[in-house]
Amino acid sequence: MTDRVITLKGFFDEARAGRLSAIRCRSCGDLAIPPRELCPRCQERQWELVPLHGTGTVTSFTVIRIPPRGRHAEAPYAVAVVKLDEGVSLLGRVVEIPLDALKAGLPVRFRPLMTDEHVMIGFGPAAE
Amino acid sequence: MRRVAVIGVGMTRFGKHDSTSGELFASAAADAIADADVAPSAIQAIYYGNVTGGEGERQLHTSPLGASLLGLPTIPTTRFENACATSHAAFRHAVMEIAAGISDVVLVGGAERILHVPTDAATEYFAYCSDASFEQPVGLTFPGVFALIARAHMDKYGTTEQQMAHVAVKNHRHGTLNPKAQFRKEITLETVLKSAYVADPLKLFDCCPFTDGGAAIVLAAEDVARRHRRPVWVLGTQAASDAMFMHDKRDLARVTATERAAQGAYRQAGKTPGDVDVVELHDCFTIAEIVATEGLGFFEPGTGGLAAERGWTSLGGRLPVNPSGGLKAKGHPIGATGAAQIGEITTQLRGEAGARQVEGAATGLVHTLGGNTATVLVSLFGRD
Repeated sequence: MTDRVITLKGFFDEARAGRLSAIRCRSCGDLAIPPRELCPRCQERQWELVPLHGTGTVTSFTVIRIPPRGRHAEAPYAVAVVKLDEGVSLLGRVVEIPLDALKAGLPVRFRPLMTDEHVMIGFGPAAE
Repeated sequence: MRRVAVIGVGMTRFGKHDSTSGELFASAAADAIADADVAPSAIQAIYYGNVTGGEGERQLHTSPLGASLLGLPTIPTTRFENACATSHAAFRHAVMEIAAGISDVVLVGGAERILHVPTDAATEYFAYCSDASFEQPVGLTFPGVFALIARAHMDKYGTTEQQMAHVAVKNHRHGTLNPKAQFRKEITLETVLKSAYVADPLKLFDCCPFTDGGAAIVLAAEDVARRHRRPVWVLGTQAASDAMFMHDKRDLARVTATERAAQGAYRQAGKTPGDVDVVELHDCFTIAEIVATEGLGFFEPGTGGLAAERGWTSLGGRLPVNPSGGLKAKGHPIGATGAAQIGEITTQLRGEAGARQVEGAATGLVHTLGGNTATVLVSLFGRD
């Protein structure tokens, strides 16, 4: 592995510390999450790590009412695709926003959600 | 490249079975060989599809197991896994083996057994077909994946929950005409609209069921197929992929892999959407049928819901979609689905579909989607 500026583990370690990051192609400027080897747009392999502000707006969302095994205590819960201000999108669990207030275009802010084993990408109200 | 034809089809009843997935495959495969009227010893390879054998049955290495249970233990065989598009992917590779001149007769099949595990475990296993780093940890389920697509389609085009419900009602009505369907009961719009939300805006009756079942087809090179009655020709078969991550899809209201696979299959076949008489497509959720009818070029983007509402996709309508009942009513044993869809189109083009026959059908299309829309296969079929 050459010149890998961040790995999946590195991405989630950063997220655990409250820092959301992406990689930017030095050739075409495209942003990507998760890290990858080749730029899907220009196929170059020259990435740099860029911090993200963590703010964005909801693109689409759903409320999961029938969860997978082991997640019953969490249901119902909302999951949304969020377009971050820098232009790259990320999927996350929505918290601290009433389920009936969810809509496309709603501003949200990243927050790490700790579970027993790992960190989960979360989004809450945009206002601090 | 040599022309390839489907010369035999077989399918178990879809629903709850006490048999293992290997047995379900073997049963369907023996039916397909009998239907093809070829000697079992003529089969030169088996392309096999199964998804959750490891999780649900503690069984890997399922392809030689299936061959052994069929009674043809020495034939080369490989298992494919492309989520719900598994046996359609197996089919495409079998076509290439024959077209390339390596084999003359190849068996393609798939099977799944899932109803013996609790629903929440099945939901978890199916979710393994979405990404384990970003999607499984936040609790995204497969209804959730298609709910994200449904919400985007509703916001962009004004598609309604009632239009989605029309897809369910239509496919259940078709299912009453299929003796092997899991559900053979008509439902009403009210049944769908009053059913409980699974992942908003999708309700229980927007979702296909968990299903046990097996399906198989026999493929042959042209010179072998010519000796058989009613060969159904493979006119084109194309696979396409899209970004695995839901957050990487450029437009959640489209399935671009469907569009790219369709373009390739139409080009190979020298056909256009207007040439297609009958369609089996991947209605794992009602919204999936609406988006697929747009991506396959049958209706303009944003009008798939209207097409369902107006009955254009019903038997007797301008383009019958899922006369078998589709995944919604026929059932969806995920490893078997592609082979079962190809079997239905073969039956339709032979003119042997009985009460659900699309009169005069000469060109058919099969569309199978894998998982979070990251895999799609489209194939076109025709008769002499």
